[in-house]
Amino acid sequence: MNRSLSYLTSIAIFVAFAVFVALRQRSPFNPDAVLGYQNLILEGFINTIIVSVIALIGSVILGFVMFLLSASNVRFFKAFVDVFTEIIYGTPLLVMIIVMAFLIGPAFNSFNRPVLGVIGIIIYITPYMTNVYKSVFKSIPDEQYMAMDLFGFTGYQKYRYIIIPQVLRMLMPPFMNNFSLIIKGSALLNVLSFHELFFTVSIFQTRTFAYSEGYILMWILYIIITIPLSQMTKYVERRWSLE
Amino acid sequence: MKLKIKNLTHDYDVNVFRDLNLELDGYQSIGIIGVSGSGKSTLLRIMSGLEQPNGGTVEINDRSVKDPFYRKTVGFVFQTHTLFPHLTLKENITLVLEKTRDIERHEASTIAEKNLERLQLLDQAHKLPKNVSGGQAQRASIARALSVNPDVVFLDEPTSSLDPILTHEVLSSIEDLKNLGKDFVFVTHVISFVRDFADYVLFMHEGNIAEHGAPSILDDPQTDALKNFMHKVR
Repeated sequence: MNRSLSYLTSIAIFVAFAVFVALRQRSPFNPDAVLGYQNLILEGFINTIIVSVIALIGSVILGFVMFLLSASNVRFFKAFVDVFTEIIYGTPLLVMIIVMAFLIGPAFNSFNRPVLGVIGIIIYITPYMTNVYKSVFKSIPDEQYMAMDLFGFTGYQKYRYIIIPQVLRMLMPPFMNNFSLIIKGSALLNVLSFHELFFTVSIFQTRTFAYSEGYILMWILYIIITIPLSQMTKYVERRWSLE
Repeated sequence: MKLKIKNLTHDYDVNVFRDLNLELDGYQSIGIIGVSGSGKSTLLRIMSGLEQPNGGTVEINDRSVKDPFYRKTVGFVFQTHTLFPHLTLKENITLVLEKTRDIERHEASTIAEKNLERLQLLDQAHKLPKNVSGGQAQRASIARALSVNPDVVFLDEPTSSLDPILTHEVLSSIEDLKNLGKDFVFVTHVISFVRDFADYVLFMHEGNIAEHGAPSILDDPQTDALKNFMHKVR
C-alpha cells in the first residue's frame, strides 16, 4: 500500500469508528441540536485559543527566567528551580489549577478564577519550557563557542549573530509541542466555570440534552486545532532543522 | 615559523606537561603525532592560544601566545567542522570578516569566494552546512580559517570524524595549500599525511616530546615509544 493510501485508510477507520460509536448511543444522533448554540460554542473555541496563547507566552517568558536562574552560578537559584520543578512535575494540572484558583489566589486576595486558572497553567508548563531552553542551549557544541572566541566575536556579537538565530530555530518545534499540551490542558479550566470550549459545549449539552452530539463536536473541535498544529510542527522541524 | 616553548607545565585529562622545552626556527609545517592522551591536542591548543598553560611560556614568531593580539593572527581547524549551522558556507566566512575584522561587505564577499574557490567549494557557497558532505564542511571550515589571513594555521585532527575517502579528499586539499606562504601546525593520525606535508615532526608520549626532527625520524625511530607507535599505525 502506498503512503497516502495507507494514511487515508487509517483515517477512514477512525472516522468509521466514531460514526459507529455515535450511532450506538441510546438517544438518536441529532446534529441539528447545535443550531442556535453555534455562537456560544464559537465563543468557547475562541476563548480556548486566547487563553492558550496567553499561557504559551507566559510560560515561554517564565520558563526563560527559570532557565537563567538555573544556569546562574548562584547555588540557591539552581536549588530553587530544582525544587520548583520537582513540585510541578509531581502535580496533576487539574490540581494545579484548583490550588491556584481556590487556595493561592485567595491567599493574595485575588478571586478572579479565570485569570488564576491561566496562571496555574502557565506555572504548570514553565518547567517544561525551562527544559526546552536547557536542551537547546546545550545542543550548541563547545567547539562552536571556542571557534567564536578564537575569531574574536564579542559577547554581544556571539548572541546576536550566532547563538540566538540558531536557538530560535531549535526552540520553535518544542514550543509548538508544548502549545498543543496547553490547548489540551486548558479544557480543565471548565472546573472554574470559565467559558472555554469544554465548558461552553457542556452548557449546550445541559440545555439541549444532546450529550453525544456535544461530546463528538467537542472532540472534533479540539482536533481541528491540535492536528494542524502538530503537522505544522513537523514541517517547521524539517524545514528549520540545522542538522 | 619561529617556535619557542620554555618550561611549559600544564595539567590535562590524566597527564601533565612537566617542563617542556623546544626551540625551532625556519620550518613551515609542523606535524604532531602520538597516541590519544599523549598531549598532542593539548599542546596544539596551547600553541594556538585556545588554552592557557598553567606555567611556562610559548612564543610563536616572537609573540607570546597569551598576547590577545596573537589570536587574530591564527586560524584554527577543529576535529569537527564547527561551521555555524544556520549560515551558508559563504556567510560563515563573511560574518567572521565583517564582524571581527571590520571588513566591509563587498570585500568580505570577495575574500570568501577566493578562499572557497581555493578549497574547490565555490559551487557549494550558498548551501547550508547540513546540505554538504562532511568533507566539504571540513574544507569550508579550512577556508574560513584561511580567510582571516592568519600567519599560522592550526589543524586539530581535521579528519578524525571522516571516513577514509573524505579523509583523503580533505588532506589532499590541505596539501594544496602548501605554497600559500602560511605556516601550519597540525595533529593527525594519518602518518602518510605527516610524511607528505610536514617538514618537522613532534612525537608526543605521556606528556613529553619524546622525539622530534625531520619526517625521516618516522623511518628510524630512536625511542621504544615511537617504535611501538609506528608499529601500531603501520
